[in-house]
Amino acid sequence: MSFGSPYFTLPEFTYHHPNNLEEAMRLLETHGEEAKVMGGGVGLLAFMKERLMSPAHVIDIKGIRELKELKYTSGIGLSIGACVTLAEVAQSDAVKHHYTALHEAVSGAADPMIRGRATLVGNLCEAIPWVDSPPALIALGGAVRVNGPRGGREVDLGNCIRGPVDIDLQPDELVTHLVLSESPPSRRSTFQKFSAGSEFSVASVAASVLLGRRREVKLVYGGVSSTPLRSLEAEKVVAEGEVSEAMIQKAAQVASRSVECVSDVLASADYRRHLVQVLTTKALKRVFER
Amino acid sequence: MRESQVKVNGQIRMREVKDNELLLDLLRDRLEVKSVKAACWRGECGLCTVLLNGELVKSCLVLAVEASGGEVVTVEGTGEDGSSGGGGLTEIQRAFMEHGASQCGFCTPAFVLTTHELLRRNPSPTESELREAVSGLICRCGTYNQIREAVAAVKAHDRRSVSKKLVESTR
Repeated sequence: MSFGSPYFTLPEFTYHHPNNLEEAMRLLETHGEEAKVMGGGVGLLAFMKERLMSPAHVIDIKGIRELKELKYTSGIGLSIGACVTLAEVAQSDAVKHHYTALHEAVSGAADPMIRGRATLVGNLCEAIPWVDSPPALIALGGAVRVNGPRGGREVDLGNCIRGPVDIDLQPDELVTHLVLSESPPSRRSTFQKFSAGSEFSVASVAASVLLGRRREVKLVYGGVSSTPLRSLEAEKVVAEGEVSEAMIQKAAQVASRSVECVSDVLASADYRRHLVQVLTTKALKRVFER
Repeated sequence: MRESQVKVNGQIRMREVKDNELLLDLLRDRLEVKSVKAACWRGECGLCTVLLNGELVKSCLVLAVEASGGEVVTVEGTGEDGSSGGGGLTEIQRAFMEHGASQCGFCTPAFVLTTHELLRRNPSPTESELREAVSGLICRCGTYNQIREAVAAVKAHDRRSVSKKLVESTR
């Protein structure tokens, strides 16, 4: 308002503040393409100031009680409502104990004020390449619960992000929850990143390893490309190799070769490939030493 | 436009609020709370930080309508009586002055408010807890060392007064 120009101001819109899910779904069905859902608003308001988005209707879902719940059920998994903030996820003991990679990703994200507003579901729905939590969510595995006029559906977390700022979601649909699969005690996971202070990650990795006779491994890289990327090649090295320093080194090299990195204003592709190697080594050492 | 009522530093304020108005602009431009600084408009520098319903938020990332019916506290409201205008300096403000923790002064309200909230929740923060608490704020003069010293001095003072009270109570 002060400078009366874009960037400092928001485009005009009508603000809606539904108190229950039915009302929110009705608003989405009525306004669809013209509407944007607001959780914490951290990302949405930034996009709107830049005029990258100019929705005629903003639907603030913070008043919907059932979307505020974070619940861990042994044998089922972790359910996180669309209005659960990063700070709430970071404070959860269940997340800390059973989903270490997610705990580490959210507790190091941005700064305390942003974490108090931004939501985990918002992080995922925005699908911004350098945001930390999506790689952790994909590594841990689970589903995205979507509600829409055609009923509810579930999307696998691994297939949810289709491109930068593009997820598998129709304009009249709402992500209500994320459901992370039950985490067996034999699973180890971690999140490692390289960033300058509270800046966005230049490169990150989320590693999840299910120890056992058949080791199940996921290595998901963030910040290096336009979407989070898995390295199936490096995962194979870890799954099939004897646990040793040499295996970790080999997996890190394979990851560095196989993950397609981009060059941008933050770093060159070469530098990112180097970071992929360093971060993979760090992550695997952590996973296997615990 | 909608009629909106916000409690700011203990006082109820009424304004017509536009749906696309930021809380930052409502506070600064229309309610004349000038300690709330407008600088980056994108949640990076944190100098528009206020307490909204007890939580620290960057007011450039919050809609004015979201504060409707709620309560905002800015640095003016951190005094003993919790209202603006009354009383002298707080311990934290005095420590900031004594340790030269403010150069141009632009970031000072946000740092004072944020450390006030930190010490209220955690009277003896460690160095890393302090760093973390203010990690969302930027001092463009770079007086971070002095700010750290000022907060440490408040902590030390608190410890002294607490131990004094302990001594008194054991007499």
